[in-house]
Amino acid sequence: MSFRQTTVAITAACFLALGLQSTASAGVIGTQAYLAAEARAGQLADISAALSRADVQAQLVSLGVSPADALTRAAALSDAELAQVAHEIQTLPAGGDGLLAVIGIVFVVLLILELTGVTDIFKKV
Amino acid sequence: MSPISSRRSDQIIVATTRVRALVRTLVAATAQATALATLLAGCGTLGPGIPEDPRHELTAVPFFPQTIHQCGPAALATVLGASGVATTPEQLAPLVYIPGRRGSLQVEMLAAARSHGRLAYVLEPRFADLQLELTAGKPVLVLQDLGALGIRRWHFAVVVGYDPGRDLVILRSGTERRQVEARDWFLRSWQAGGNWAAVITPPDDPPATATGDGFIRALSAAERYLSPPVIDAAHAAALDRWPGVPLVLLANGNRAYAQGNIAGAIARYRELLVAEPGNVAGRNNLASALLDAGCPQSALVEARQAAALVQDGSPLATAVQDTLAKATAAGGSDASTCRAE
Repeated sequence: MSFRQTTVAITAACFLALGLQSTASAGVIGTQAYLAAEARAGQLADISAALSRADVQAQLVSLGVSPADALTRAAALSDAELAQVAHEIQTLPAGGDGLLAVIGIVFVVLLILELTGVTDIFKKV
Repeated sequence: MSPISSRRSDQIIVATTRVRALVRTLVAATAQATALATLLAGCGTLGPGIPEDPRHELTAVPFFPQTIHQCGPAALATVLGASGVATTPEQLAPLVYIPGRRGSLQVEMLAAARSHGRLAYVLEPRFADLQLELTAGKPVLVLQDLGALGIRRWHFAVVVGYDPGRDLVILRSGTERRQVEARDWFLRSWQAGGNWAAVITPPDDPPATATGDGFIRALSAAERYLSPPVIDAAHAAALDRWPGVPLVLLANGNRAYAQGNIAGAIARYRELLVAEPGNVAGRNNLASALLDAGCPQSALVEARQAAALVQDGSPLATAVQDTLAKATAAGGSDASTCRAE
């Protein structure tokens, strides 16, 4: 078991313990339990949510977020949001105004075209 | 000069030429790219020529100029500020910025708004809904793609106005307090992200375009960050706005029940079951509340109906069986107060 897997497992267990406490009241069906039931099914869903919460936390840390912030942030996401982030954290739109990325990509493309001789913008040297 | 040294000197000339070309390419390409980027940044925007007009825009919405990659925290501080939460992009960055992605995710923007005691409501992806929210006084958080030539450049901004006469959209965006964009250009940039738009609102102030179901979902997601009086006010506002919507009635009944207001809970559950007789959760909770109110006979009737309604394998089945078992065990007849309801 890798370090990351171990971390995910331990954190998942903690999230799960927290989650089950809040849904343990039998008899009355709370609004949140009702909404969750509409979307998914039962305790298996609780377990998968706890796993993806821990996974999202680990992924945020690997993307440069501090471990403490990552814990708070993973805990703040709803189950549906978690599922989305867990699978697509690398590909979801990240609004950030990628100005430098654009300059960088255009530059590299121009450079490659020039060096491979596809374009010859600067032939009069 | 021997043929060999001649060839070498040719090679040197070729090499020097190539290096010079390379240097010039570097300089020129950087200049071109910068010009292009500036062009892109300014594309479709009409500059400061259009004067601020309170009839078409929310002039009081605060502005936080973004630093590089930090449009997420800046836009979030803007909408939070407009909803009455004083905060700054610097305070929000640890909650929404992802260094490895050089940006912020939509869901984390919503989550951070909730953790500040606000509801985050994602609008239907229509410009008309965006307009309705503006008219109701709420600035709208949007995701735009400011890229070109197939290169995505995701950007969060806040729409604060729409001028129908000139067909212009006014935004707090990047380093511009008033970015004015032609509507067509705005719509193109908005479409790439699926016309994603959200409003951030105090919990007792449902958005103009919200549905009862959508509002209860948004409230439910934020509830753990809210104080009991605020939660009560939010449920009351929902009931006021959507008096006949089943989910609003269920949520209000559950809220009353949790506060120990059994009579209030029973009344809401009964209204819910008039609107939607097959609602298992409403039927089950009514049975449970009736038991607590000293009405085991009526409770058993409701519990049996709930058990008949619930589907096998439903996550609600456990609670329903539990209630039925309690109602069966309680036995006996209703207290005289039960008839009055």
